[in-house]
Amino acid sequence: MNINATLIAQAVVMIVFVAICWRYIYPPILSVMKEREKRISDGLEAAKKADDSLEEAKLAFDKELNQAKAEAAEILDKANARASQIVSDATSKAEAEAEKILTSASTTIENETNKAKEELRQQMSDIIIDTTQKILGDEISKEKHEEILKKAAEEL
Amino acid sequence: MASELTTESYISHHLTNLTCGKTAEGWTCDPYKVDQMGFWAFHVDSLFWSIGLGALFVFVFRKAISKNSDASVAPSGMQNFVEMSIEFVEDNVQSLFGSVKNTLIAPLALTVFVWILLMNLMDLVPVDFLPVLAGHVAYAIAGDAVEWIKGPESLYFKVVPTTDPNITLGMAFGIFILTIYYSITVKGLKAFVAELTLHPFGKYMIPINFVLEMVNFIAKPISLGLRLFGNLYAGEMIFILIALMLFFSSIPIGVLGFGLHLVWALFHILIVALQAFIFMALTIAYLAMAHETEEH
Repeated sequence: MNINATLIAQAVVMIVFVAICWRYIYPPILSVMKEREKRISDGLEAAKKADDSLEEAKLAFDKELNQAKAEAAEILDKANARASQIVSDATSKAEAEAEKILTSASTTIENETNKAKEELRQQMSDIIIDTTQKILGDEISKEKHEEILKKAAEEL
Repeated sequence: MASELTTESYISHHLTNLTCGKTAEGWTCDPYKVDQMGFWAFHVDSLFWSIGLGALFVFVFRKAISKNSDASVAPSGMQNFVEMSIEFVEDNVQSLFGSVKNTLIAPLALTVFVWILLMNLMDLVPVDFLPVLAGHVAYAIAGDAVEWIKGPESLYFKVVPTTDPNITLGMAFGIFILTIYYSITVKGLKAFVAELTLHPFGKYMIPINFVLEMVNFIAKPISLGLRLFGNLYAGEMIFILIALMLFFSSIPIGVLGFGLHLVWALFHILIVALQAFIFMALTIAYLAMAHETEEH
């Protein structure tokens, strides 16, 4: 436990180790640490930026989507309106056509009926006259009784 | 020749350094000639462990850099430990030193902290293990060639360098030199001398001021070195005393000694780290004082 030259030797050894640490150990480690710290903070900042731009893109996307939806709805409405217009147009047209056909058909039927009636009447009056002529002989002539026949035909 | 193992010889064996020095007959490490060596003697064991552990510090830290010096790679293993200790030192320097830029302070503090921590940790190696091993190795290698090695126990070997006041005071001395150097370069010689002579009583009491300030100035490195030495020496002493309990060939006392050893070792871990930290903190504080330019 004497104080001796060990003290001086230790002081010298310490200076050597401190010098080694000062020149070759501390600065490189510290610079790597600083650089890593910078990288990490840069990375965090970049991540934050990316987050922000993602948020922005999301907002833009939502906006576009809503707009597109609105447009689609509008187009759909228009198409619907147009379709119903076409349908109603077609319906009315078809109805009119049907009406027309119906009318012409009924006219034709009536005409035919009338024609047939007329013919029937004619035939009937002919038959009647014939029959009457046969019964009454020549007393009755077609010409003489034209008036009566006609009336009868009308009554039939 | 300590052929008979007594309590006294056991303790003194553990508290004596392996000392080599120059005597009238030349260089020798004979423990019985220590008195003739005078000042120019070296505690070979203390210096061996001190240099070895310092080299371990340099090796481990250098390896951590070379293994992983790329900032883009996440640190792993030893690199984490190395960076953690650097961050710890950097924080302490930052809080004590503030804005003063001096690139030497942090590496100095790191070296002092890790080195002293390693030296203190040697205290946790069982007290007899390394000395007995060293004694047997020395006897096997040089027992025939060196006349003073008469048996494994004739080699004194102290393992914990910080229980040697030469080591602790040596480091405190190195820091003292640095303090003076920075006091002169930062403040200027005139201001430094004025600081030592014009306080606390003003310029008419210069001799008294000088004596008072000198005591204050010199007390710093001495207390720095002796604090570390005292704490570790006492810790080592208690380990030795606990180990002595095994001398009584009684099983209960032996078991008690075993338990006490465990308890003291656990408690000593705290002292080991705390003393290393205190030495580092005071080193930074003294150097910070050397950089203070304003009057106080």
